[in-house]
Amino acid sequence: MIRWLASRTTEAALTAAVAFVVLVILLHLLPGDPLTAVLRDHPADPAVVAALRHRWGTDRTVWQSLIAFGAGLAHGDLGVSVSEQRDVLVVISERLPATLLLGGLTLLIDFTAGLAIGVWSALHPDSIRARLAGAITVVGYALPAFVVGLVLVWIFAVKLGWFPPSGASDPLLSPGAGVGTIVADRLRHLALPLATLVIATLAVPLRQQRTSALAAAAQPWVLAARARGVRPGVVAWRHCWRPALTPIVTLLGLWLPMLVAGSVFVESVFAWPGVGLLLAQATAERDIPLVMATGFVLIVVIQTGSVLADLLYRVVDPAQRPA
Amino acid sequence: MHWFIPSRYHRAAGITGRIAALFVLAAPGAGAQRPAPNPTVVYAVGKEPTMPIPLFTHSEQANDDVSDQLFLHLAAYGPTGGVSGDHALIPALARSWRRVDPLTLIFELDPRARWQDGAPVTAHDVVYTWQLANNPVVGNDQSRLESIASVEAIGDRTVRVQFKRPSAEQVYTFAFLMQPLPSHLLERLAPEAITTSDYARHPIGDGPFRMARRVPGQLLELDADSTFFLGRPTISRVLFRYVEDPNARITLFLTGETDILDVIPEPAMAQVRGRADARLIAVPSNDLVSFVFNTRSSTDTTRPSPLFTDPRVRQALTLALDRTTIARSIFDTGATAPDAAQSAIWNWITPDVTPHPAADLTRARMLLAEAGWRDTRGDGVLVKDGVPLHFSLLYPSSSAMRHTAALQAQQMWRAAGAAVDLDRVEGPVFGARLPTGRWDVMINRVGEDPTPSSLVQSWSCGAARRPGSTNYARWCDSTFDRLVTTATTAKDQPAAWRAALARMAAQRPAIFFAASTTPIAVHRRFDNVIVWPSRTWLSLWQWRVRPADALPRDR
Repeated sequence: MIRWLASRTTEAALTAAVAFVVLVILLHLLPGDPLTAVLRDHPADPAVVAALRHRWGTDRTVWQSLIAFGAGLAHGDLGVSVSEQRDVLVVISERLPATLLLGGLTLLIDFTAGLAIGVWSALHPDSIRARLAGAITVVGYALPAFVVGLVLVWIFAVKLGWFPPSGASDPLLSPGAGVGTIVADRLRHLALPLATLVIATLAVPLRQQRTSALAAAAQPWVLAARARGVRPGVVAWRHCWRPALTPIVTLLGLWLPMLVAGSVFVESVFAWPGVGLLLAQATAERDIPLVMATGFVLIVVIQTGSVLADLLYRVVDPAQRPA
Repeated sequence: MHWFIPSRYHRAAGITGRIAALFVLAAPGAGAQRPAPNPTVVYAVGKEPTMPIPLFTHSEQANDDVSDQLFLHLAAYGPTGGVSGDHALIPALARSWRRVDPLTLIFELDPRARWQDGAPVTAHDVVYTWQLANNPVVGNDQSRLESIASVEAIGDRTVRVQFKRPSAEQVYTFAFLMQPLPSHLLERLAPEAITTSDYARHPIGDGPFRMARRVPGQLLELDADSTFFLGRPTISRVLFRYVEDPNARITLFLTGETDILDVIPEPAMAQVRGRADARLIAVPSNDLVSFVFNTRSSTDTTRPSPLFTDPRVRQALTLALDRTTIARSIFDTGATAPDAAQSAIWNWITPDVTPHPAADLTRARMLLAEAGWRDTRGDGVLVKDGVPLHFSLLYPSSSAMRHTAALQAQQMWRAAGAAVDLDRVEGPVFGARLPTGRWDVMINRVGEDPTPSSLVQSWSCGAARRPGSTNYARWCDSTFDRLVTTATTAKDQPAAWRAALARMAAQRPAIFFAASTTPIAVHRRFDNVIVWPSRTWLSLWQWRVRPADALPRDR
């Protein structure tokens, strides 16, 4: 197992390195001038432009960029953002917690409620409630997330006033407020963006789980268990669910990047201070140092997720374990 | 209790006014009540103010808005809002100034001025800031200070400024554009290290507000500096909330969570007007949108453009456009179409900016025929010497406004015999292509300086020859240059600038189609709401909350 893990980790690191090199090459191929965000419509002397390019490293070739990034990485310096003029690590670390919170809770709900409803739907394929649940989630999946977000804001923030329309916390909340007040405030602000993301994504794990569970239900060992008179609940959870988990684990590995990338539209509509919106803006402004660093973090998270998914895969599927 | 807004804008907003200023009375009895203990302004901005330090703001509006609360200018706008002459501005950090000769001014700093750490503001701070402004790695817009030859301290609080040439705007150029930084805190840092230093995280200024806290990605809070030497601010705190999505900003205003809404798209105007607790103010904007002709060939920039060198072609293409219709389709009645590079903040030059001449397709066709353009191929596109009147129109894809204008212009020019390809590109690509000259016509949107002498930067022959200048059209007209030079020192400033702009209008290096006014919505509980056409919130510290209307956040 340890040998497998070492080999898989090395493979992931190599994949991450290749992905990062490709990202940097693509960034250098992108048309557009990163200094547009700085100079705007001001006249600028060529000497000023050259000094600024040197300061932000936008005058480097692909290989110079990679070497400088690698050297900086060794001592925790990934450069300075062109648009924000601050250390990119500081900028990313400011935004990462909000993204992890929103993305993490979305995944948690998707992969608990979604899976539970999926298995239940598979066990009751002809029930009206199961069909209704499937239909509702598919409608949610089909609607663009920002439309769902805008509708939720209109109903629950503007019309009913139950939840704040945007932001991650109340700016007027006293810094000395109690823990309970702060948690309640965070939850109120989390409600609408979280609901939007869950509505937009729940259908995928639900339907995936339903299909897998339906397939598992037709397996001989399930039929044998039923023939032995095992109770339906036990059949469902012990004999159907675990084999049906394998594709879900794969799905989870693929979805982990959502933890970091979040949803640009949802972050925008709800003014949620996450990394997704930051990356989108940085790319639009050709803020190369910020895009490189954010891209690096994303690639590392994706590869880590991939290794963890493979590991989990081996846990849930004994057939994958070494003899 | 006054808004400094030129009268035209009051008419546009349905408010009557005088020539330059309007005084709005406070609510009756307001003075008899105890003031709200914690008057608060909440303002949602579309870009996060991450670097609100003068010279380092990159002219990003959110950064400028915050830096104006933290750092004082040497001089502030006066009652007229003018920038021309030695007495148009009023003292701020500088308590007085005097002229030694046409090239020399001496400024006396107010001895009461203190940095928020208690250190006095000195002449050395001013000299240090001037030197920093000229350091290329700072990335400051040096062209604005180009006319200043030297700045030296001649005492603890006295600064002598030497200019390269006479100008009526010397006080503005130095005293308004210069917001001194604390040399005792920054001098030990390398200029390129300032933005990543502790100081950048917690800037210490000399203005009416001090930095209280910043929640990354969400908000920045400023608290009033009760020791501010020009008087205790009547607003206790200002919260700048970062909300990137314009619709989310509108929602926040409509739900009462913010007090100011400064970008109001036409579809949302009815909802904003419908709020009883909101007051709409029309503020002249420095925003100017135009179709700019490249006078050099887009394929070989060493040669003149085969299409746009002849002023008759430029004039004809102007006549073919119904500029008023284009402006109205974007800004409703909130914009006019000037004939030259004159945004709404320069209306003291020519108050009446009705487009002249109006659209005239027949005359446009006649002018083109006169210039030798004929429909020889029978496809509706004019041709001269084998060259079709066919060009591309460059603009950034991020701007819906410019896309609307492009589609309309394409149709109107087609009617005059010109074929136009729309060249819609991403913002950074647009920015990169402008200086290369690899374009025919582009839709430019600029924020003009409060002073018309800035025309030199974008429309003079000197700028046309200088690499890196914003004279992207490479337009050069020696008569225009002479008129601008005359105007910078003229006694009758409006007349002199009118002459320069008239010359530009006759030559048509660009078709200016929208000089807009910006409607701003402000919560009605505020009194003494003073907003400025440029650097809008400079006087925020003097706003007041009517006690009877105070909200929970003001208490």
